[in-house]
Amino acid sequence: MEVAKTVKRVRVGWLGMVVLLAMVLSPTHTRAQTGAVRLAITRDEGWLNPYTYQTGFPGWNLMTLVYDTLFYPDANNEPIPWLVRDTRVSADGRTWTLTLRPNLRWHDGRPLTSADVKFTFEYAAKVTHSRWTPTTRNLDGVDAPSPQTVVFRLKQPDAGFRLRTLADVPVLPKHIWEPVTTVAAARAFRNTVGSGPYRVEEVQDNQFYRLTANSEYFAGTPKVRELVLPIIRDATVTFTALQAGQVDATSRTLTPELVAQFEKAPGIKVARGAGFASTILQFNVEHPQLRDVRLRRAIASAINTNLLVRLLMLGYAVVGSPGYLHPDSPFYAPGVKFEASKARAVSLLNEAGYRDRNGDGIREGPDGTPLQFTLLTLAGNPIRIRGAELIRTWLRDVGIGVTIRVAEDAAIIDQVWPDFDVCKGRRFDMAVFGWSAPVMSRPTALVDLFHSSCQLGTINIGGYKNAEIDRLGQQLIVTVDPASQKRIAAQMQQIIAQELPVHVLFYPDTIMAYRAGAYDRWAFQKGQGYVTKLSFVDAPK
Amino acid sequence: MARFFAGKGVQYALVLLFAVTLNFLLPRLMPGSPLVFLAGEDVGFMTAAQRAQLTEAFGLDRPLWRQYGIYLAGLARGDLGHSVQQGRPVAEIILGRVGWTLMLVGISLVLATLMGVAWGTAAAWRRGRPLDVGSLGAAMLLHSTPSFWLGMIFIAVFAAGMRLFPVFGAMTPGAGLHGWAQAANVAWHLALPLATLTLITIPDMFLIMRYSMLGVLGEQYIATARSKGVGERGVMFRHAMRNALLPVSTVFMLNLGYIVSGATVIETVFSYPGIGRLLFEAVLARDYPVLQGSFFVITVSVIAANIAADLLYPLLDPRVRYAR
Amino acid sequence: MSRFRWPVGGVGVIGVALLAALVLAGVFAPWIAPYRPDETTGSPFSPPSRAHLLGTNDVGQDLLSELIFGVRISLTIGFLAAAVSISIGTLVGVVAGYFGGWVDAVLMRLVDVILVVPFLPLMILLAAYLGPSFWNIILVIGILVWARPARVIRAQVLSLKSLDFVDAARALGVSSGRILRRHVLPGVLSLSLAQFILAAGTAILIEASLSFLGLGDPTAKSWGSTLYYAQVRSAFLSGAWKWWVLPPGLLITAAVLGFAFTGFALEEILNPRLRR
Repeated sequence: MEVAKTVKRVRVGWLGMVVLLAMVLSPTHTRAQTGAVRLAITRDEGWLNPYTYQTGFPGWNLMTLVYDTLFYPDANNEPIPWLVRDTRVSADGRTWTLTLRPNLRWHDGRPLTSADVKFTFEYAAKVTHSRWTPTTRNLDGVDAPSPQTVVFRLKQPDAGFRLRTLADVPVLPKHIWEPVTTVAAARAFRNTVGSGPYRVEEVQDNQFYRLTANSEYFAGTPKVRELVLPIIRDATVTFTALQAGQVDATSRTLTPELVAQFEKAPGIKVARGAGFASTILQFNVEHPQLRDVRLRRAIASAINTNLLVRLLMLGYAVVGSPGYLHPDSPFYAPGVKFEASKARAVSLLNEAGYRDRNGDGIREGPDGTPLQFTLLTLAGNPIRIRGAELIRTWLRDVGIGVTIRVAEDAAIIDQVWPDFDVCKGRRFDMAVFGWSAPVMSRPTALVDLFHSSCQLGTINIGGYKNAEIDRLGQQLIVTVDPASQKRIAAQMQQIIAQELPVHVLFYPDTIMAYRAGAYDRWAFQKGQGYVTKLSFVDAPK
Repeated sequence: MARFFAGKGVQYALVLLFAVTLNFLLPRLMPGSPLVFLAGEDVGFMTAAQRAQLTEAFGLDRPLWRQYGIYLAGLARGDLGHSVQQGRPVAEIILGRVGWTLMLVGISLVLATLMGVAWGTAAAWRRGRPLDVGSLGAAMLLHSTPSFWLGMIFIAVFAAGMRLFPVFGAMTPGAGLHGWAQAANVAWHLALPLATLTLITIPDMFLIMRYSMLGVLGEQYIATARSKGVGERGVMFRHAMRNALLPVSTVFMLNLGYIVSGATVIETVFSYPGIGRLLFEAVLARDYPVLQGSFFVITVSVIAANIAADLLYPLLDPRVRYAR
Repeated sequence: MSRFRWPVGGVGVIGVALLAALVLAGVFAPWIAPYRPDETTGSPFSPPSRAHLLGTNDVGQDLLSELIFGVRISLTIGFLAAAVSISIGTLVGVVAGYFGGWVDAVLMRLVDVILVVPFLPLMILLAAYLGPSFWNIILVIGILVWARPARVIRAQVLSLKSLDFVDAARALGVSSGRILRRHVLPGVLSLSLAQFILAAGTAILIEASLSFLGLGDPTAKSWGSTLYYAQVRSAFLSGAWKWWVLPPGLLITAAVLGFAFTGFALEEILNPRLRR
């Protein structure tokens, strides 16, 4: 009896302590500091300098808070002059003369001059960077005839030079980066002295970043005094934290199932806009059966993309356009449409000679090979997995057998895009794949995606070959006049819509939720979200 | 005595070598290349030559033997390589995170042991009675509960629902707290993961202690003590518990390795930045050096725990000591 | 202190009852479940209603049906993984215990190594390497869980080996194979069975953890994958966790408990050293 009592007393004691602890500790949650905004990001982004940030989005965007580019994409993804005050392009499009603004300074007080710009582009050519070194391929040279003047000499005229290069490459301080001469050293370099509206104040490994405003910024004082960027990897945790008020905003787009709830939640605003990321069904066009256009069109016909949008995205997506480009893209060719219909899928298959010859429910081709394919999809993406399951059901209904293989990112890349080199071939049937928003913003996306040469068609992962597309693509690259660009792009989209080397399923909307009480002056960049320099600083006049 | 330790020493060395080789080989055999995460998503816009330069710069193209040799030599120096993803020394990354796991695991192990020992003793003493049977049922129930599920429920009820506790992390980011305020903040973030891990570990301790007590209670010297007129309390504490504690202390040490495993799931559910979570992230990112380094550190700690158990055991059990 | 023999039988009965209920549910799933689990029969994320007693999941499939059919997947994985691990464990335990000497030493070293390397990180690693598929998960669990049973079996074999009739058989020159088959194996079989039951429970827990972490096969509708989708589709934020997270967890707990009780009871009955 005494034993039991002692044990009980000990247990009550522990319980009491736990309760006491909880009561003492609960008021110690953080109160948002005046002028501080907590923006949750999805993963570690190195030291937020040009050679250590990790992702295209939001990594590049965050890096541009600390470093400046010569131009910067505005809300419509058009490049506007930033560090540059004046631009002159030669008649042949090969010489660009830029005048920098006066009195630009680095965070350490030293002046930012054309010498830094010249140094930056020569550095990018020498010290490999996956995003910028390719853009230097077309540069013949960079000159700095005076401290405010920079001259770019291009080998070929480039329609995308302003957006893809000048609005993309951040200027590096020569006096700091000159001694860092190898890739390994650059990727381990921790210096964060830039020219941008924010300074990196504190970096806690894998936990958060703290940025403070640069009050001497040339374009004006930044609107938020301090930015804290907690790293939260899980989507669920991110939105739980947002709802609970532990963060004020997030770089992550709101998932469909939470939209209705967040729109009703007090204190939270939801901004919706078109999204330029795409979810696609990628065919291996070199596959012996899938090289038949009729089969691809039949497969596409059997997939009810409207239902996909309704079921998977709860309506928060735009149905895919067969020409690839988003309806809101400036180069979209209206009149390119695709109607899914099971009846049409069946008749296409019948006409093309695919019949079920042995009664097992799967059609065989004229040579007897059954229509049985493996559909690859990414392990970490539940919406794509569900999409793959639905596709499997629909294709089974028209007599095409599909086995789903869920795999990790690296394993998928290994089969679909080995070493990220289209020249290395491919070993797959079909895959549920996706491209991020920047792919859509470039006018030359159609070339990257569909040109048969693996030097030009750098993301032509299906191995698609079409002479007319090649010809048009080559023309598009050197065309600078927007009207002509639109014309050529329209022609390309017509062909793509007919041949369907990829079948675009949908474009998820960009839905950004944030706590309006903490900060309400976000700038919304079309197709991307509100993590942009323009959310904190107005465009310089 | 010396012969005993020499034998055990060789055994542990073999275990270490085997585990290290296993750790090294397994990541190498995985499909796919780390270039995915080496240069971020934009790597698709590079030329082949530039990709080759990156691959070479990080030594991913050297033959397996070479990589292994480098790895072993590095381990001897304490160098665990550089993270492919972050470009920082692996040892530094691990050092920054292992503290959180040690705190979580250490405190929960101590709490679970204390509570399990008390509970197991009570149950064994009252063998067959409702307390014992009920405890056994409760312990089995807890033991059968998926740890991540329990964690999820706690988050849903106490963190997201009642807003009593934070939803993620080890500290409030960017709060800039110091001293006692910082300690309190850390403790507040630790509460739920600690509670979950402790609840999951108690059943093991309870069962071992109960089983051990039952064994001891039947021993001769207990009957002897009783016949000498030692009171029930005295019998329990001075004789029974002290002897029953021996296997518990062994299990305590051995469970250190097990509990680091279990903490992996808990850390993931609570987004707690410990080494278990680092392992999971490294696997997803195919960050080989971090993967190897984490495995190495976990394995070494488990072996160290085993060695500590071996050293402690003779000190606790007088019979073993005299036999030497 | 009374030597009251506590109701091992009672615990065993509860365990067997739980298991029987689950197995029956799995066998008769097509008749019990209101819908087919892979059919979209409602709108996504619906709360419980008369049409869907546990609501629907993220693509409008009935959760109750998913859980009932999930019994098949989860139990199958549990049994198969346990079968693999107990086969290996019994073999190793018997060989090590019977032949002794350097064979024993080597095998027990192997067991020590497996036991030392922390199992979940290793499983995560293996699962990520082999890829998320039904058979890979079974393999991964099977080749790591055999170590502890091997130790237990070996101990049993050692005690059997010292029995008189085994000594006599060896003295008479009976072949090892024969002795193993006719004397050792039968003595070990019942213990193997108890270990099998316990291993099955462990396997179900591990599969649930791996699936939840996204390393299992999400297209195999096990309870773990139901929890995975619940987690990644924000069941906690919408309050949907009450019908999407609680039931699968309870089912997993019930299944594991059933195996644990049954195995525990079997072990108490079969292992003479544990009996009081």
